[in-house]
Amino acid sequence: MRSLRIAVRLAGRNLRHRPAQAALLLLTLTIATGALGVGMWLYGSADRPWDQVWTKTRGFHVQVDYYTDFRAPRKDVDLSRSRSEAMTLAKDRRVVAVGGPWTVLDGRLNVEGESEDLTAQVRQPGVSRVDQPLITAGRWLGSGAGIVLEDGLAHTLDARPGDTVLIQRHRFTVRGVAMTVSQGRFPLTRPALVWVTPATAREMRGLGMTEEGFELEVRLADPAQAPALAAAYSSLNKTTSTSTMFTETWEARKADSHSDLDILVGTVFSAGILIAILTIATAAVIITGRMAAQTRQVGTLKAVGVTPGQIVLVLLVEYLGLAALATVIGLGAGRLIAPSLAGTSLTILGAPELPPLSWSRVGIVAAVALAVVLLATVHPALRGIRYSTLRSLASGARPPKQAGRVGRLSARTGAPLTATLGLRSAWRRPSQLLTNAAGLMLGVAMIIVGLGLHSSLSLLRAERTEVGHALSGVGIDSLYDQVRMIVLGTAGLLLVLGTINAFIVATFAARDSARNHAAMRAVGATPRQTVIVLIVSQLGACLVALAAGIPLGLGLWSLMAGGDLPRVAVSGLSLALLAVAVPVAFAVIVSLPARLQARRSVAPLLTYE
Amino acid sequence: MSTIVEARQLTKNYPAETTAVRAVDGVDLHIDAGEFVSVMGPSGCGKSTLLHLLGGLDRADSGFLSLAGNRVDGLSESQWAVFRRQHVGFVFQAFHLVDELTAVENVELPALLLGARRRSSRHRAMELLERLGVAERAGHLPDRLSGGEKQRVAVARAVMNEPALVLADEPTGNLDSRATGQILNLLAELRDTRRSVLVVTHDARVASAADRLLTMRDGEIVSHTRLGDGASALGLLAELVDLGGER
Repeated sequence: MRSLRIAVRLAGRNLRHRPAQAALLLLTLTIATGALGVGMWLYGSADRPWDQVWTKTRGFHVQVDYYTDFRAPRKDVDLSRSRSEAMTLAKDRRVVAVGGPWTVLDGRLNVEGESEDLTAQVRQPGVSRVDQPLITAGRWLGSGAGIVLEDGLAHTLDARPGDTVLIQRHRFTVRGVAMTVSQGRFPLTRPALVWVTPATAREMRGLGMTEEGFELEVRLADPAQAPALAAAYSSLNKTTSTSTMFTETWEARKADSHSDLDILVGTVFSAGILIAILTIATAAVIITGRMAAQTRQVGTLKAVGVTPGQIVLVLLVEYLGLAALATVIGLGAGRLIAPSLAGTSLTILGAPELPPLSWSRVGIVAAVALAVVLLATVHPALRGIRYSTLRSLASGARPPKQAGRVGRLSARTGAPLTATLGLRSAWRRPSQLLTNAAGLMLGVAMIIVGLGLHSSLSLLRAERTEVGHALSGVGIDSLYDQVRMIVLGTAGLLLVLGTINAFIVATFAARDSARNHAAMRAVGATPRQTVIVLIVSQLGACLVALAAGIPLGLGLWSLMAGGDLPRVAVSGLSLALLAVAVPVAFAVIVSLPARLQARRSVAPLLTYE
Repeated sequence: MSTIVEARQLTKNYPAETTAVRAVDGVDLHIDAGEFVSVMGPSGCGKSTLLHLLGGLDRADSGFLSLAGNRVDGLSESQWAVFRRQHVGFVFQAFHLVDELTAVENVELPALLLGARRRSSRHRAMELLERLGVAERAGHLPDRLSGGEKQRVAVARAVMNEPALVLADEPTGNLDSRATGQILNLLAELRDTRRSVLVVTHDARVASAADRLLTMRDGEIVSHTRLGDGASALGLLAELVDLGGER
């Protein structure tokens, strides 16, 4: 207990002694935990609303869908035989309730001059034992006229009970609006869905709507038996030249129910992992930069009688405190941001509900922070403990053991003196240089992916929307917009981390070179020349990042493009601008600590540690 | 005889918790071309600070300073750097060689900064290292050199551009008798070529090689002794014993 009190006091003193470094470490940790926190809260935020609707609507356990190709000659379609086949499943002893088979008609919905594919499901007035849509406005089908709109469709059309919609160029009055889990929400799930009575269906047939197929839904005594039942009737899954029939379980439907949110969650998680990797790299840079000071501190503590175990405790308390704070802030930020992000989903049923905070979720976020903590603690502690007290006390910036080949070569080729000196310094801390390069490389790669996504989406918008998918096209565009926003946001965060990284590396490099640069100034180098030397010594990381980041970004983009996204090459001009802007910005950032140092007189810098 | 150093009322304070510490307190100093001056005094009396002020490594709070006929007390950091290239050479007690440069590269650095050709700079640098007995270590980085070798490289670097003034802080502190002799010979040669040398030292051998001995105490120069015109070895020894007792 006494050891812990001392450890807490020493750790607090350490943090107060270097508040800027502690703040930077906390910031980088929080960016990572925040990104993962958003993903954590977002993941599963659509499950609870889905479960609620599924329960209230007595959602199906197994569904059989049959639909025909509307271009196929009607004589080739044998609907009644397919119905009989599907009904064999409904007669299974595990089935306790049956809904349907409900006929579905295919037609067109007119929306402000554009058209959208439409399915009208024919239901008898009254309540079904399976998949009874949950009314959110108006009334369910009854003896009167009118149709019921699926909630997503009503939301897209901004239609309310009493309004009319144009189907097959004929006006139908909206009687009600309802939710179902039997299919996803419009517009990302196509076609648009309305429920109609047999009487209205007859009217629609008269307007040219054709019978597309049917839907059969069953509930089981034991929902867990759904996959087994579907497997037992796998013979129902078949596709011919004119029709397709397939079974689907409620679990599979649930998994597919909010595809846009799943894409967003996947993107946020991927971004979070990239950010976490870079965070660890940034933290490693801070920590290795503090290594010498840390080792000296371990030496001092050992000299005054503190045991190795107590030393580890001090370091653990210091970094665990930061990690715990970052985890709390990260999860809190995620809790604040996730609802607004989930609220933009087009497919979610009702309002998103964030999942309860579970230990596993906290554990995943904390694991990232913990990884950094271990990186921070183990190495310096072991080094400090392994070294003799005297050696620990004498630890300082490690001088180079041999002159760099690049530096020697540059001297022979007649490169400017400052460039030669800069290249000589470049490899003084190669691990920091490579960490810095890796971080910047990820940022550059993400910018290129963001640029590719931007061009591709612009092209997608410019292309003529497929007939019958006008509103869905808008919905998909909006999803891609969100993905693009997350990708660009991630690129931004990676660049912020890259900037922090570059600044920290430059600060440590300036500190390491302080005496050298002061010695150079003592023999006649101007402060400006020492700033240039530092920039040159750090610029290598940036050039490596560009050299590796541009092909990496182009490679990632080529993997992403294709399929739904048009394959668009990132323009040469954009790449050229990136290749110029990144090193310039980098040079400005790394020059800051060097400039501050160059303002000081030479004498104090000669004694700088 | 032309004046190389002309300092009047040079003052330097360092902030402290309660009151400022006056490290250099109204120092007046005059050094002629070709003069070899040594400065002695107890630790913390302001010797090194005075050296730093004279070479522009630190800024005086007040006072007048002229070097080689140029008023320099108002120079910016950049102007000081350019001025040092041409007129001032430094030897530090802690050597302060550039870690990433080999011994010969350290020596040629001032010449390259001055715009000299690489080939001629390398030639002269090797010549100096040869004279100081460290030519065989020319290609080694400072981390691979002993303290004495580093000191000799630092001396070679200080005289590389043949500056009008060499400022040296304990230049023989890490050297054996032979190496000390080599450095004293080199400094004496500088005097012979009308270049001035100001050495801060605790070493009586170095101090006795000078034309003039300055004694500092509490930031002030308390005595000037011209060794060449009558100061006996006994008097010098007495002064050294006196200083040692105060330490």
